[in-house]
Amino acid sequence: MRFRPFLILIVTMVAIYSCTRQVKNEVVVYVSTDQVFSEPVLRDFEKETGIMVKAVYDTEETKSTGAMNRLIAERNNPQADVYWANEPIRAVVLKQKGISTPYFSQNAEGIPSLFKDSQGYWTGFSARARVFVVSSEDAPSSILDYMKEKWKDKAVIANPLFGTTTSFFSVLFTLWGDEKSKEFMKKMKENGVKISTSNGESTTLVVNKEFAFSLVDSDDSTNAIRDGKAVRQIYPDQEEGGIGCLILPNAVVLIKGGPNPENGKRLIDYLLSPETERKLAFADSAQIPLHRGIETPPDVKKIEEIKAMRIDYEDVAKKLQQIQPYIKEWTGE
Amino acid sequence: MLSRKYTLLIAVLLLIMIGLAPVISMFIQSLFVDGSLSLNNYEMLFQSKRQWLLLLNSLILSISTAIITVLLGIPLGTIFAKTDLPLKKPLSILFIIPLIIPPYILSIAWFYCLGRDGYIARIFGKSIGNLTSSFLFGFSGTLFVMVSTLLPVVMVLTMTYLRMINPRLEEAAKLSARWSFVLRRISIPIIKPGIFLAGLIVFILSIGEFGVPSSLRFDVFPVESFIQFSAFYNFNAATAAAIPIGLITLIVLIVERLFLREKTFQFKLTKEPIMIIPLGKAKFFFFAIISLLAFIIVIVPIGVLLLKSFSPWAYNEAFTQSRDSIMRSLLYASMGATSLVIFGFLLGYLLERKALRFSYAADSIAIFLFALPGTVIGIGLISLWNTQATNIIYASSAIILLGYIAKYTALGERIMAVSLSHIPCSMEESAQIVGAGWFRRLFFILIPLSKRGLISAWLVGFIFCLKDLDITMMVYPPAHDTLPVRIFTLMANSPERVIASLCIIMVIITLLPLGLLTMVKDI
Repeated sequence: MRFRPFLILIVTMVAIYSCTRQVKNEVVVYVSTDQVFSEPVLRDFEKETGIMVKAVYDTEETKSTGAMNRLIAERNNPQADVYWANEPIRAVVLKQKGISTPYFSQNAEGIPSLFKDSQGYWTGFSARARVFVVSSEDAPSSILDYMKEKWKDKAVIANPLFGTTTSFFSVLFTLWGDEKSKEFMKKMKENGVKISTSNGESTTLVVNKEFAFSLVDSDDSTNAIRDGKAVRQIYPDQEEGGIGCLILPNAVVLIKGGPNPENGKRLIDYLLSPETERKLAFADSAQIPLHRGIETPPDVKKIEEIKAMRIDYEDVAKKLQQIQPYIKEWTGE
Repeated sequence: MLSRKYTLLIAVLLLIMIGLAPVISMFIQSLFVDGSLSLNNYEMLFQSKRQWLLLLNSLILSISTAIITVLLGIPLGTIFAKTDLPLKKPLSILFIIPLIIPPYILSIAWFYCLGRDGYIARIFGKSIGNLTSSFLFGFSGTLFVMVSTLLPVVMVLTMTYLRMINPRLEEAAKLSARWSFVLRRISIPIIKPGIFLAGLIVFILSIGEFGVPSSLRFDVFPVESFIQFSAFYNFNAATAAAIPIGLITLIVLIVERLFLREKTFQFKLTKEPIMIIPLGKAKFFFFAIISLLAFIIVIVPIGVLLLKSFSPWAYNEAFTQSRDSIMRSLLYASMGATSLVIFGFLLGYLLERKALRFSYAADSIAIFLFALPGTVIGIGLISLWNTQATNIIYASSAIILLGYIAKYTALGERIMAVSLSHIPCSMEESAQIVGAGWFRRLFFILIPLSKRGLISAWLVGFIFCLKDLDITMMVYPPAHDTLPVRIFTLMANSPERVIASLCIIMVIITLLPLGLLTMVKDI
């Protein structure tokens, strides 16, 4: 009789545990794309499919260590089914670490092969461009302007150790080679370029006239413009012979061993659909659809109207790991 | 005696299991590179001059913040606790507000105010804007924001401990001396342990801070650990980079112990009211000075947030979207604060009464965990608890609670240790002689007599759990975010007014329980 309370407690705990283990019609998604843009899409998915979405959202990389670190730390007992990354480099890192699993969605068929993994480990959709946000009368037209005397002490860029700025520099190293890229970064530093914590902060600094321009993601600049701020957006290096503008699609990944793989696949299908791309183009994220022929608002260019850098994201991800020690040294100089 | 010993042992073992075990597992992993034993992660730490410079920057920032907050916090706490200053209760609550807001948000509010195109520049002109901007970006601005955020820690602890002083000591001194002498020679020296505790907390919080220095462009050492986590995804190197901060904290702890070793303290045992210092004609002078300080460090940043959030639409949207997160924050913070009070009471008792041989060791563990970056503890918790067998803990909000206990037990423990020091051992011994067991002594002597300390520990625990970001961000179950997590995840590209509204809502939900409790009991 003395053990009855303990027995009741154990039975109750087992019952609660069993309930939590019951198969539920849900999907767990970790999201690095800004919550303000991704949450409405996930709500729509819930409404349309009846599958409950449980999401973990990320902060901007330099504010906290979020979704990616969780995914890596949870690799032995994955809690997530899907990872919605805001650029493909992270998706490639997950592939390299053996955390993702291949999935070819039928909805990915219209997406150019440049923006998806040939083995199906990640698929890109709805892209952003790396553009200048400018508050001065005069405007830069090329990323090489970061080195020019005219812009000395007037330019800012997000910390290249994190996020899309890392991808940008890795792309330069891939396209130009190490020597030219290091020379460019050295001259940027000599020209008094300041480093901010994120693209969002760079935009705020330009909007508040602390600096004349910054290279940011197109959603940051479009948002500021739609919010009535006195800035404009420039696509860099669009002239004949220019290297073009970096296009960074979102990337969706199926997690290996996730608790609800079938629902995960349904969510991936939904995210890759032309309808989701249309929604993300008309939302404040102003993202560029990768399926051809999708309607966009006037301030969002179509992918075919942009002169894009020709790159292989897998190569960029490999290069990124090689150059990170150099970039860390550069940011600390 | 045995029941006391076992209760305290269980508390220590739980702290080790919940807090230390994840960190030890991370530490052991950091000693391996590619599967073989190696000190490479540690050898890489101080290879360049820059890393030493960053460490020096962190030390200068944290020592300066601790000194300035102590120098400002003691007079402020003294005035609020012991004088007849008008409106002292609302003013003291006002000073707590910066502690509630995530420091990074506070630095943004200051940017809107002091930036080149900020409110000051718009009012006084561009040249003044350039001046304020150069003040804000760099060491001066970082120090200013850190001091304004952490000043309430020293102020509140000074208030709490001053109210515990035996008034008879001050009465006796007052017979032949003025109040300024009594405060300098009697009251403040008596509360030295409390002041050291406050300084230690401020030091630990500022040496580990990364958000404010990075946004105000002052490089500090925690960036090393952060980069390893967020840019390199190298958990082992990140853990290694976090260890120096923990070691520095332990050194400061040893210095504190050496300094306070021979000190004895006399606290009040009676229900006599505390002595109030009449300010007389100086009342309005002090009121003006304190109001000015409150205006500069509280009203201005809060005013900026209010201005930015000035739209009923923004509040409606912020509240509608975040209602669940608000409720969860309040629930988790209440549960966390209650757990911290229980752990804090037992470990504080252990430290104060030296009830077991390893009482200092338990204190050192708690302080070490408090000093470590939340991310290290968070990832340690994941690697330890994220298994099929323990999914019931990991996939529920219990994991958040474990994170709070791991990180913040030191706060409750130290507050309770100072609070318990005013209960003489003789009271417990007398009860023991007449046959009262440990639990009777606990519930009928120790808990009732340390009520004020328990309430303070709960409030401090509540604030820290409510604003926690690092641990919660790492371990919260999907769809169970808290308000600070939501503020941070919404910050990217959300309208400024919505973020500002959420910050104001955060201030209100923190102040409500504080206000209710202060109405119930004068604390």
